[in-house]
Amino acid sequence: MIKNPKPTNDGSPEDIGRRRMLSWLSGVGLCGSAIIAAASNLVFIKPRATYGQPAKFAIGKPEDFPAGARISLDTRRVCIVREGDKVAAISTTCTHLGCIVSVAETGFACPCHGSHYDQDGNVTSGPAPKALAWYQVTLAPNGDLYVDKDNEVEAGTYLKV
Amino acid sequence: MSTQTAVRSQNSWLALPGNVWRSIFRNPLPTSDYGRSSTSFTNFFLHIHPVKVHRHSLKATYTWGLGLMATFLFLILVVTGILLMFYYVPSTTQAYDRMLDLRGTVAFGIFLRNMHRWSAHGMVAVVFLHMCRVFLTGAYKPPREFNWVIGVFLFLITLFLSFTGYLLPWDQLAFWAITVGTSIAGYAPFVGKDVRFLLLGDATVGQEALLRFYVLHVAVLPVVLTGLVTIHFWRIRKDGGLAKPEEEETGTTSPGAVTAAAVEAPATMAVAAGAAGGSAAGVAAFPKRSFGIQGLVRGPLVKVGGLEDKTLFSWPNLFQAELLVFVISVAAILVVSLFFNAPLEEPVNVMHPPNPAKAPWYFLGLQEQVSYSAFWGGVGVPTLEVLLLLLVPYIDRKQKGVGKWFAKERFLANTLFMTFAVINVVLVIIGTLFRGANWEFVSPW
Repeated sequence: MIKNPKPTNDGSPEDIGRRRMLSWLSGVGLCGSAIIAAASNLVFIKPRATYGQPAKFAIGKPEDFPAGARISLDTRRVCIVREGDKVAAISTTCTHLGCIVSVAETGFACPCHGSHYDQDGNVTSGPAPKALAWYQVTLAPNGDLYVDKDNEVEAGTYLKV
Repeated sequence: MSTQTAVRSQNSWLALPGNVWRSIFRNPLPTSDYGRSSTSFTNFFLHIHPVKVHRHSLKATYTWGLGLMATFLFLILVVTGILLMFYYVPSTTQAYDRMLDLRGTVAFGIFLRNMHRWSAHGMVAVVFLHMCRVFLTGAYKPPREFNWVIGVFLFLITLFLSFTGYLLPWDQLAFWAITVGTSIAGYAPFVGKDVRFLLLGDATVGQEALLRFYVLHVAVLPVVLTGLVTIHFWRIRKDGGLAKPEEEETGTTSPGAVTAAAVEAPATMAVAAGAAGGSAAGVAAFPKRSFGIQGLVRGPLVKVGGLEDKTLFSWPNLFQAELLVFVISVAAILVVSLFFNAPLEEPVNVMHPPNPAKAPWYFLGLQEQVSYSAFWGGVGVPTLEVLLLLLVPYIDRKQKGVGKWFAKERFLANTLFMTFAVINVVLVIIGTLFRGANWEFVSPW
C-alpha cells in the first residue's frame, strides 16, 4: 500500500502562521500597487508643460510706460503700473471668480460681480475675498522688461528703472 | 405517426423562418403564468427585472417613475452624444465652427444638439427629484443604506457630466461659466489650486481645459456613471425590490407566516427561494418576500400553501409601466427640442467677460452663496451638505415610516430635508432670475 505523502497544509500552528503571513504579504502588495498606480496616474495627469501663454513674458522697454501710466494688457491679464522711475505689474484677474477687472478711476473694477479694488489692488467693495496679486518685474540685459506670473511679490514691490 | 410529421417539418425548409425566430426568442408571447415567468427570466434585456413585482412598487404615485426617467434621459444622452461626436472637434479654433456647422449644415444637427442639451438639463433635475422621492418615502433605510450612498455619488457625477459638457461649444456662455465654476473649486483649502490646475491643465481656461473636459465628458464620466448605475440597479434587486411599508413587506398579514411556510416546505425549496432572494444562507436569513409557485422559474415546484399574493407578473404589468415612462421621457425631449434651440452665444472672447458671468443654472445657488462668502459659500457649506447627504442613512436609523410619502414617523427628517432642498432651490432661482449686472438684485419682470 502506497503511503500518502504528509500534507503540507495540515492546519498546524506553524502552517497557519505561514498562510497568514503569505496572505498578509499579498494584501500589502496589492494595496501598495494600487496606491502606486493611483499616485503615478496623478503625476501623469498633472501637466509638466503647459501650452497656453508662458508665465514669463516681455512687455517692452521701460520708456514704453511713461510715468503715471496704468496700462492693462488684457491678453496677459496684467496691468503695468509706472510711478516715477518705478514699475510694477498687478494681476487683472479678479480674485472672486476669475473675470478680468478693468482699470477704473479709483483703481480696478470687476464687471462680473461688482468687486472694486483700489490703486494697489486692495479690495474696497464687493465679494472679492482678497487683493489682486503683484508679480515680479525684472529688467533683462537687452533692456526689455519681463513679468513673471509664477513669482508673486508683496504688494508695493516696484522695480527701479 | 403525427410525431414523425412534426419531426419532418422541423427538418424541412418549410420550418423557416419560424425556427430562426424561435432560436432568437426562446419563448413565444406568453399566454400562461409559466410563460410570463420564463419570458422575463430567459430574455437578456428583461432579466434585469424580477419575474414578479409587488403591487406597491408599481404605483405611479409612489415612484413617479423618476429613477427610470433619469436612466432613459441618460440613454438619450449617450445616443445623441455619440452622434454629435462624429462632427465635433475639441479644439479652441474649431469647436465653435463645428457648433455653427451643426446648426447650419449637418442634417438634424441642431435637433440632436437640442436633444442633448435639454436631456442634460432634464437629467440634473430628474436625478434631484428622484433623490427627494427616495428621501421623502424613507426608502434609504436598511438594507438600502449603501444604495443611497451610491445614489448621492450618481447625483454628483451627473452634475459634473453636465458641467464638463458645458464648455464644449466654446462660446462666451461656456467659457465664462467654466471660468467661474472652476474658480469656485479653487476656493477649496489646501487642494483647491491644485484641483483647478489639474482640471484645466493650465492656469486659465484654454485648449488644455477643452481637451480635458472633452475626455472627461465623453469617456471617463459616462463609464463611471454606467458602472455605478449597474450596481445601483443590482442592489435594488438584491434588496428585494423597492422599499415598501412594513405591512406590505410580506404577502401575509403576520410576518412570521412566510418563514413558517418555508420551513414546512422541503429543504430544496427553501434553498431555491433563498437563492432567488439573494441569500443562500437558508431559512435563517430568509428575506421578507413571498414566492408564489409561478414566481420560481427553475427548480422544484412545490405547493407552499395559501399565502396571500400581493405581487403581479412583470410581464406585462411592469414592462408596460416602464415603456410608458420611456415614451413620456422621449416624447417630452422631442417636443422641447422641436420648439426650443439650445443656446449658442458669441465665440469666446477672453478679454470681455459678460456681465454678469454666470455658471450653469444648477451651480447658480453655489454662485449666489459665493457672493456672500467665498470660502463658506463655495466650499464649506456644499461640502457639509454632501457629507450630510452621504451620512443620512447612518444618522437616521429608525426603521419606521418606510415606503410611504410624508410618513408621520418621519416628520422631523422630512422637514429638515425639505428645508435644505427648498433653500437650495430658492438660491438657484435667485441666482438664475434675480441677479443682473454686477450681481446686483434685479427683477425678472
